[in-house]
Amino acid sequence: MHGKFDDLGRFADPSVLILTSLADGPKHGYAIMTDIAAFSGARMEPGTLYGALSRLERRGWIRPLAAGERRRPYEITAAGREILAGQLRSMQQIVRTGRQRTATA
Amino acid sequence: MKPAVADRLSRVLVGCYPPRWKQRYAAEMLDVLDQHRTGLRTVLSLAGAVLSTHLDPSYRMEAHPLARMTKDAWLAVAIAVAVPSGVLVPLVVTQVAKNVRESSWRPSGEGAVAAVAFSRNRRILVSAAGGTPWDATSTLWDVADQAKPRPLSVFEGGNPITISPDGRTVATNAFSGKPALWNVTRPRHPARLAVLSAGFSGALWGEAFSPDGRILAVASTSRLVLWNVADPARPRLLRALTAPLRQRGPAPVLFGVGNADLVFSRDGHILAAVSGSDQVTVWNVTRPADAGRVATLTGPRDYFTALAFSPGGNLLAGVTYHGSLLVFRLGGAGRQARVSILPGILATARYPGGGTAPAVPCAPGCGPAVAASAGFTQDGHGLTVVIDRPETDPATAARDTVFTWRVASSGALSDLTTIYRDVRGVHPTLAPGARIVVDGSLTGGQIHLWNLP
Repeated sequence: MHGKFDDLGRFADPSVLILTSLADGPKHGYAIMTDIAAFSGARMEPGTLYGALSRLERRGWIRPLAAGERRRPYEITAAGREILAGQLRSMQQIVRTGRQRTATA
Repeated sequence: MKPAVADRLSRVLVGCYPPRWKQRYAAEMLDVLDQHRTGLRTVLSLAGAVLSTHLDPSYRMEAHPLARMTKDAWLAVAIAVAVPSGVLVPLVVTQVAKNVRESSWRPSGEGAVAAVAFSRNRRILVSAAGGTPWDATSTLWDVADQAKPRPLSVFEGGNPITISPDGRTVATNAFSGKPALWNVTRPRHPARLAVLSAGFSGALWGEAFSPDGRILAVASTSRLVLWNVADPARPRLLRALTAPLRQRGPAPVLFGVGNADLVFSRDGHILAAVSGSDQVTVWNVTRPADAGRVATLTGPRDYFTALAFSPGGNLLAGVTYHGSLLVFRLGGAGRQARVSILPGILATARYPGGGTAPAVPCAPGCGPAVAASAGFTQDGHGLTVVIDRPETDPATAARDTVFTWRVASSGALSDLTTIYRDVRGVHPTLAPGARIVVDGSLTGGQIHLWNLP
C-alpha cells in the first residue's frame, strides 16, 4: 500500500495534507487550502493543490461531488482513508524513531 | 511582485494548461484565485504545475507530438545504423506494411472509449472517452493517414456521439444528458451550437444524421425525436415519435458503441431504431414532419444491438445481444419479410488465442457481453458483422471475429468468410463501407484501428 503512495513522488506531502483535510468532510478547493494552512501552517498554492487533486482523483482516493457554480467539493473515498491511515502509521513510525534517536544523541 | 501583476499572470497560466485539464479544472482554479492572495509563489507554483501537466502521460493528446518526435528520432537512428549493414529495405517495408494494416493509440482523457463515429469519407473520426456518458471527453481525429491518426481537438461530450456525413457537425450527449450539437467546421476549434432540450425526455441512447445531414434523429428511452439541423445553429424540432412495444421490457440504453442501433437508409427515407427489448421499428421519414411507422420487426426474444441498411435500402440486417443475425427484406407500403436468420454466429466467434471460451472462466450469471457492428459493403453485395470477444478481464486482450457473407438481392446469405484478429479493445465499430474496424477499449482508454483485407 505504501508502494502505491510512493508513486506520488514529490507530490506525496500535498496529497497527505489534502487527504487529511478531507478526512472530516467534503471541501472545495479554497476551503482545502485554508484548512491545510490552519492545521499544518503550510501554505499550499493553487497549482500544487490542483496537481495533487487530479492525481488523487485518478487513483480513486478522492471523488468530486456535484459542482455548484464554479466550486466543486471533493470527498475522500474508502480507499483514500485506507491509504491515509497507512501513510500516517508510517509517519508515526518515523516520528517515533526520530524522537528516540534525537533523545539519545 | 505586485499582487495585480501576479494575479494577471496566474490567470494567464491557468489558460496554459492542456485543453482537457482546463475543461475539468479551470473554472475551479479561477474560483480559488478569486479568493487567494496571489504572489510570486503562486505564479511559480502555477508555472511548474502547467509544465508538469503537459509532461503528464495522462494528457496524451498534448504529449503526442513530442512522443511522435521521439519515436521518429529513434527510427532515424535505426535507419542510420541499418544502412551500412544492408538491412534498411526490410526494416522500412515491415514498418510500412504494419502501418497500413492497423494502428492503435490513446485518446485524451481517461476511462472507457465509449463511442467512435466516422465521417462518410472516413477521414474524420470522433471518439468519446470517459467514465460515464455524461462525463466524457470527445476527441476529433484526422484519420486520413490511418497509420498516424492526428488529434485535432478535444471538447466535452459523451456517448452517444455521431458526426454528420460532411464532417462539419458533431452530435454528442451533453453533460446534462441531453443531445448537443457542435460546429467542427474548424476542427481545431469546435464550438457548441445548441442543446436540444425541446421534446426530449428519458435517457439518451442514440443519435444519427440523415445521409444529407439535414435531419438528426435522437433516440431516448421514451421517444424518437427528429430535428431539422440544416442550419445546425438553429435546429428545429420536427417530430416526436413513440413506438408501440410488442412486449413490455427494459428499453434500450447505450448498447455497445456508436449508433448502430439507430440507422437511416442511404436515401434517407427510412429510419430504423431499436425499440423495446426485442424489436426494431421502421419509420418512413421521407417527410420528417409527417413521419410514420411502417413496420415493426421482431426476431428471437433478444435485444438488437447493431443494425445496418443495404445501399439499396431494401435489406436491413440486425445482430442481437446473444449473437443471432437476422436479415429483413423491406417492401413498399409497410410490407416486410424476414429472409435470413443465423442464430449461432456467436459460437464461431473466438477469444484471444483462438479458444471458444475465455482463458479465465466467466463468473456464473455473466452475460455473453457481445459487442457487435454490422455494415454492408459499398456495392451492397457483401454483409460484414464484427463480433468482439474479450477476455474476462478486458484489459488483457480481446479478439475480433469478422464474418462476411455474399448477399443476394433477396437477402439470402452465402459464401461466408471469417477473419480473426487480436485487438486491444472491446467495442468494434465498422466505418462506412465496412472495410475498417475500430475498437474502443473499455479500460485503458485505447483506440485500435485496422483494415479488413
